[in-house]
Amino acid sequence: MAVKRALITGASMGLGAAFAAILAGDGWELVTVDRQPHDNDDAHSSAAARFQCELSDPAEVTRLLEGLEQGEGFDLVILNAGANATGRFEAIDPDVIPRLVHLNAFAPMALAAGFANAGKLKAGSHLLFISSLSHFTGYPGASAYAGTKDAIAIYAKSIRKPFAAKGISVSCAFPGPLRTTHAERHAPTGAQAEKRMLPEEAAEKIVAATLAGKKTIIPGLGPKLFSIAGRAFPRITSRVMRHLIYDRLDREVW
Amino acid sequence: MTALNARRRRILLTGGTSGIGLELIRRWGDRHEIVTTGRSLSSDLADILENRPSITHAVADQAKPMEAADRIAEALAARDWETLDHAVLNAGTGFAGDPASEDTARLLETLDTNLTSTMLVAQRLFPLLEKGRGTLTLIGSTAHRGAPGFASYAASKAGLNGFARSLREEWRGRIIVQVLHPGPTRTMMHQKAGLDTGRAGTFFTPPAAMAAMIDHAIARRVAGRRLSFLRYWSGESLLARGL
Ligand SMILES: NC(=O)c1ccc[n+]([C@@H]2O[C@H](COP(=O)([O-])OP(=O)(O)OC[C@H]3O[C@@H](n4cnc5c(N)ncnc54)[C@H](OP(=O)(O)O)[C@@H]3O)[C@@H](O)[C@H]2O)c1
Repeated sequence: MAVKRALITGASMGLGAAFAAILAGDGWELVTVDRQPHDNDDAHSSAAARFQCELSDPAEVTRLLEGLEQGEGFDLVILNAGANATGRFEAIDPDVIPRLVHLNAFAPMALAAGFANAGKLKAGSHLLFISSLSHFTGYPGASAYAGTKDAIAIYAKSIRKPFAAKGISVSCAFPGPLRTTHAERHAPTGAQAEKRMLPEEAAEKIVAATLAGKKTIIPGLGPKLFSIAGRAFPRITSRVMRHLIYDRLDREVW
Repeated sequence: MTALNARRRRILLTGGTSGIGLELIRRWGDRHEIVTTGRSLSSDLADILENRPSITHAVADQAKPMEAADRIAEALAARDWETLDHAVLNAGTGFAGDPASEDTARLLETLDTNLTSTMLVAQRLFPLLEKGRGTLTLIGSTAHRGAPGFASYAASKAGLNGFARSLREEWRGRIIVQVLHPGPTRTMMHQKAGLDTGRAGTFFTPPAAMAAMIDHAIARRVAGRRLSFLRYWSGESLLARGL
């Protein structure tokens, strides 16, 4: 059987590195896209090809697409790269707002549309977007981030049928808080890291569900319950989120 | 006619050159102070502006978010406004088609016009709205729950919905944040988007009625609401007319 090819954006750390490690271990050929080259990373150095791209810059994303459209197609594309900005919305550096929209929403949308258009998503392939549990709960203290993560969730939902007609299965994952440096930087002071899921565990569950063709993936029981509460009682859940996060904010981080 | 009666208000309305925004100006123009925007001054709006110094128009292209936010801030400063009663962020655009062949430039234009600019403008307006104990109204769309032939537009409107949901909690007690989701409305938007509405178009809500429902929802300070044909026919537009 031919070696399967996967593309991962943001593979240098956190959840993306965990995806890379799992797929490399299972014999996948990896193409990674990162902001900076990370040579010391084991999983990452097994990549067949590495692209460097500042994904928050639409011009660079367009150039990256032109490059990737020249290459072979993919069996799995994981659009994982993303960033948060926490703090009171009015206090966040305005320059961060377009960067968040471009990195978290434009880049994955443009790559998905561009790959589909160029026939780089093989028949029977899987396309995975990473949203956030905040899609179901709201996220006061990261309002701009929450908006971008809702945008990508609904984009994934919208393209599911038209992409399925081309033999491409679209999944969207909604991870809760993970034990990554990303989450560490943004968590309120005093929040307990042990309660957060390990990125390896989340990645394992997400990859399995994606390859099984599941459209909505919420890794972990706690997050699953929280997502149900968020859908059933949206106002109350937003209030709880305010209490858990916004009322404890002591700094702006982006 | 306007549900926002009682006193004269200062209103910023983006996208007042046509469609729903233009109808909001028709409702509010005689009673309130308005600054409105769009990429250029339409003849419909120019007609209304004649002899009405209480309404001004500023050119702002939201496909360039930073510049648009600057232009809007300048337009408010030109009126010497340091407070605002209402900001209605209504300007929006979209392109219909198969998402598997969507052009990346159009994707970017949709996200920047509808989402990035709205976020940036909301942030700029914070001090004025806080001083005025004002209301921030984002115009979403019923498409925010997903639309296969209008995917990036749906995504941008979902972004507004999620942004508003969280910001409403952040600004609680200081500024009211609401997101209103119009259903299909008989404006030029569909034609501009490359969408043939066919006979379904005759069932779309007339823009004046949609403006009435928006006016009503702002006056009632609802958190979020779908504004649709059904509501229109069930009499909400009559309510909004004050009957
Ligand atoms: N019509 C519907 O069925 C419907 C349904 C749900 C939601 N909505 C929403 O309602 C809002 C108004 O739409 P409409 O139906 O009234 O459509 P419209 O007649 O096309 O009006 C759109 C307005 O947005 C402005 N605009 C568009 N692109 C802009 C840009 N790059 N920079 C600045 N302003 C821009 C336009 O001004 P210029 O052209 O002068 O720039 C115009 O004033 C939009 O947010 C739309 O998404 C409409």
